[in-house]
Amino acid sequence: MNAHWSEDDFEYGDDGADSMVRPYTITRGRTMPERDDLTLITVLSTVASAIVPGRRLQPEHRLILDRCRYPAAVAEVAADLNLPVSVTKILLGDLIAQGLLTARPPLAVAKVSGGVDLALLTAVRDGLRRL
Amino acid sequence: MTNDQAAPAAVKILIAGGFGVGKTTLVGSVSEVTPLRTEEYLTKASVGVDSLDGVGGKDTTTVALDFGRITISPELVVYLFGTPGQERFWFMWNDLVQGVLGGVVIADTRRLESSFASIDFYESREIPFVVAINCFDGVNTRSEIEIRTALDLDPHVPVLVGDVRTRTFARDVLLALVDHLMAPALV
Repeated sequence: MNAHWSEDDFEYGDDGADSMVRPYTITRGRTMPERDDLTLITVLSTVASAIVPGRRLQPEHRLILDRCRYPAAVAEVAADLNLPVSVTKILLGDLIAQGLLTARPPLAVAKVSGGVDLALLTAVRDGLRRL
Repeated sequence: MTNDQAAPAAVKILIAGGFGVGKTTLVGSVSEVTPLRTEEYLTKASVGVDSLDGVGGKDTTTVALDFGRITISPELVVYLFGTPGQERFWFMWNDLVQGVLGGVVIADTRRLESSFASIDFYESREIPFVVAINCFDGVNTRSEIEIRTALDLDPHVPVLVGDVRTRTFARDVLLALVDHLMAPALV
């Protein structure tokens, strides 16, 4: 960092590798998701009957809608789009708010929710044994 | 509203351990897809100013997570997340622990201390876990008792020894975790 150049705080390299400028341009400057309930494994599905508005969607929004015709987790969408998770969540929130995408939260399996579900564990065990 | 395809339920298993210990290798051994990588920004705003001490002078940095998936059935998918062991990334685990079944700690007998942070994390969050000793080159230099003592493990925590590059060992580690979760003491 060149401390004597105060404007360095606002200038970033052209490659974008060291800055948040490019990703947050996609979100039109928003850096916080409007909803905080999306987790890495929240599963997203594109609503088949939804009418996609012609405007107001970024190309990345359209890529997400295409990708989620087959249900995909937040982390998978972020990896496919090569975007940070936080940026992806903002875009996903836009689509959920417009009714174009549905979100299924992960199963609650934590202790606080009453302990492990034996039927779930049995299904996982049987699935692993088939590997 | 109808979807093209109903969304499966999702759960996850965390794969933790020190740098280079074989987290992504284990994920790749059992995942139905080549491990994917996703990145997240660590910002001072998201973790509190003090939490990034040691990361560097920048306001932001990124942490990468490698993950894979195992489709158990059309209704159920298990995601496997390789998880950074360093304490400074723990704030992310608030998201990582959502829907978590349990965890795996991968340890290398030549540097067991790199596993301490992962074990502490699981214990502090009461996440059941198993320990997989990754034997590079098939050589295990220490006995299980030595390893248990060095890691200060509770007696009921399963310890498996093998090569995480092999599908059978990686699968057996996950099966041991599920058996551990089904054990009467935890139900």
